Amino acid sequence: MSKAQQRLSQVQSHLASSEADIPRGRESILSKSPDDIVVTCALRTPFTKGGKGGLKDTPAADLLVHAFKSLLARSKIDPFLVEDIAVGSVLPPGGGATEFRAAALVAGFPESTAVKSLNRQCSSGLQACVDVANAIRSGMIDIGIGSGVESMSSQYGPGAVTEFSELLDSHPEAKNCKVPMGVLSEQMAKDRSISRKDQDAFAASSYQKALKAQQEGKFDAEIAPLKNVKFVDPKTDEERMISVNKDDGIRDGITAESLGKIKPAFARDGSIHAGNASQITDGAAAVLLMKRSTAESLGQSIVGKFVSSSIVGVAPLLMGIGPWKAIPVALEKAGISKDDVDVFEINEAFASQCLWCVRELGIDEKKVNPNGGAIAFGHPLVSKSLFLLLWTTHRAAPRDLGAAFPLNPSELPNCSKTYIEEEMLTWESLKGCTGARQIATLFYELGRTGKKIGVTSMCVGTGMGMAAVFVKE
Amino acid sequence: MLEFRTQVFNGYAVKYSPFFDSRIAVASSQHFGLVGNGRLYVLGLTRKGIVAEKWFDTQDSLYDLAWSETHENQVLVAAGDGSVKLFDIGIDEFPIQSWKEHMREVFAVHWNLVSKDTFCSSSWDGTIRVWNPNRPTSLFTLPIHSCTYSASFSPHSPSLLSSVSSDSQFRLFDLRTPASASNHLVLTIPIHSAQAPTQLSSTQIPGPAGAFPPNEALTHDWNKYRSSIVATAGVDRLIRTFDIRAPGQGPLVVLPGHDYAVRRVTWSPHLSDTLLSASYDMTCRVWTDGSAKADPSHAPSEAFGGEQGRELGRMSRHTEFVCGVDWCLFGSEGWVASTGWDERLCVWDVREFMGPR
Repeated sequence: MSKAQQRLSQVQSHLASSEADIPRGRESILSKSPDDIVVTCALRTPFTKGGKGGLKDTPAADLLVHAFKSLLARSKIDPFLVEDIAVGSVLPPGGGATEFRAAALVAGFPESTAVKSLNRQCSSGLQACVDVANAIRSGMIDIGIGSGVESMSSQYGPGAVTEFSELLDSHPEAKNCKVPMGVLSEQMAKDRSISRKDQDAFAASSYQKALKAQQEGKFDAEIAPLKNVKFVDPKTDEERMISVNKDDGIRDGITAESLGKIKPAFARDGSIHAGNASQITDGAAAVLLMKRSTAESLGQSIVGKFVSSSIVGVAPLLMGIGPWKAIPVALEKAGISKDDVDVFEINEAFASQCLWCVRELGIDEKKVNPNGGAIAFGHPLVSKSLFLLLWTTHRAAPRDLGAAFPLNPSELPNCSKTYIEEEMLTWESLKGCTGARQIATLFYELGRTGKKIGVTSMCVGTGMGMAAVFVKE
Repeated sequence: MLEFRTQVFNGYAVKYSPFFDSRIAVASSQHFGLVGNGRLYVLGLTRKGIVAEKWFDTQDSLYDLAWSETHENQVLVAAGDGSVKLFDIGIDEFPIQSWKEHMREVFAVHWNLVSKDTFCSSSWDGTIRVWNPNRPTSLFTLPIHSCTYSASFSPHSPSLLSSVSSDSQFRLFDLRTPASASNHLVLTIPIHSAQAPTQLSSTQIPGPAGAFPPNEALTHDWNKYRSSIVATAGVDRLIRTFDIRAPGQGPLVVLPGHDYAVRRVTWSPHLSDTLLSASYDMTCRVWTDGSAKADPSHAPSEAFGGEQGRELGRMSRHTEFVCGVDWCLFGSEGWVASTGWDERLCVWDVREFMGPR
């Protein structure tokens, strides 16, 4: 053996015994370190139906103010310590940058707290949380808030996407970015042979799980109820003040059979309809993030920690397969396998794409969305903290998703205008805050069941997928 | 935090000058010390950052260094070709002395801090050699029969010399004893021995007596205030402290925490309970061994026995194995320098990385 080889094997021997003992997989991400990025508070507003729900007349920024105020009250964090707030939102003009800064000031944050808005379509809420976590990890800030908001009722519409230029239209793949999600999902369901029956069964179970969870009060901990919200009664046009304290998109009595009767929305022989796609909703969510060492010195109670995240691109026409590609990447970065994960919150943009991803990844369906998903609550593109953010993101997005989900029924032959609008609304409302909502729901679900590791994931309009791994503590 | 890039050379050891608070030497090697040249950097801390005042290239890798205690311009290095070299900052390029007696890589050099007229070296060839800088050959050789990663004179007595080696033993030599078959060896402590029951503390790793398997010991250091206390660390990732007056008691304190082998451990020159370590896990960590009873927050409710050591903070800016770390002797008590395989020397204040005490 040469001298260099001997030296190398000596160094290897220094490492070898450690390698054997070092915790791997599950154990390693469950261990605690002062550098961990932890969540000390995660909450969301109720998610209500776009256009008719309890929050339909509440502007997005007002929802955000409420989420921020509730976060400050629950976490008891000194607002002067919060250095940055990221708000994911899909639909507002100008990204919402101006009104979100104003919302932070109204909520009681001092002028020293910075605010940014960002838009990664359906995953904006999750992206906001990940951005804040990364800023903390890199040392740019010590304490930050990731949040999401979407008012699909007020901001979803055709203006959300700019007309494509000739140049963009001339590129075939680029042009696909504006194919409506419903249309491409229909095509995908056909290509990947996901039957209408399976989709309806999946969607019905989402409704049933969500209803059961709501009846058992499982969402109470994550929801910050609103009092004295302006509401215009759609029938009488009468304006009154109401309280909103629960999700109103969750419908009773939905079964696979009842869904089976709904006419397809995007193609006469299609399988996707308003009942097995995500709803359009309004809502907001917020997550408070900092290092474990910071949380301990401030006496903040730790809800869980952020472990890893991933973002991937897929073909625009196959947008729905995003989670299938993103989840393994996030798991690999965390050093765990899918079997180590206790709960998956995968956004249900459409029953077809969610079901396909779950099956393709070989995930136990019992672990997926144990309390229902966007089909039942709606998908406010950004809000449910993560879960919340995720949910919210999806729901809120439909309006902003003009490009991905054009509102022009003429582009969608063979489907009734009402269904299309219904579908689109559903989609867009949830987009902005879904990621954040999923985080909140994820933590509370893990906490209730004594489980530890959760993954949140969603497909993203124009062909992306995002996923993140969290640990409940 | 200040930084200096030891481009193409991977750092193995760093030492502050005992004469000037602005001078630091780094021993480094090409290709991670596996093959290639070595380089000794002499760096100055200036208002413009860290600048290389001088460097010396050597034929083989460099693994350790020690400043002369008698001459402010002289530095010793431990080389991969078995030689020990003495460089003078005032003289370019070549060492003023080179001793080649070790048969394999030299891993440690250490100057006698009390008598200041001798220094020792330890090697993969399983020996410690003791030298006088004015003599061409070693004064004597102490056999260890096992790769000896670390050898050090006691800072309290000119005739006490200690070592740790890959056979998991701490050895103490007293040079005042007559030369005999024992070769001055007066004490051997198995580093992996179990903690005595009276010493049980929260840091004790549970398990049956003697549950630790032997493991290569890579580094050790004498406490600068308590003359009988040494700290050791190595491949099993644990830092331990021993009292040489009570060798049978096993370790006083065991400090778990590092994820990979510990490459260097060093006691603070300012605080009697504070340790600093550098590890293959790419972190440097600050520890207390819990002996500073004067400060009640250090030993909660523990009136006697059961000392509680714990990690006070960690620096994780290095992006590769950290091999060398040293405390600044001057000024305020938190400044340290660290170097590693990421080709960087970092000068930082440990207090910046410590949580609330």
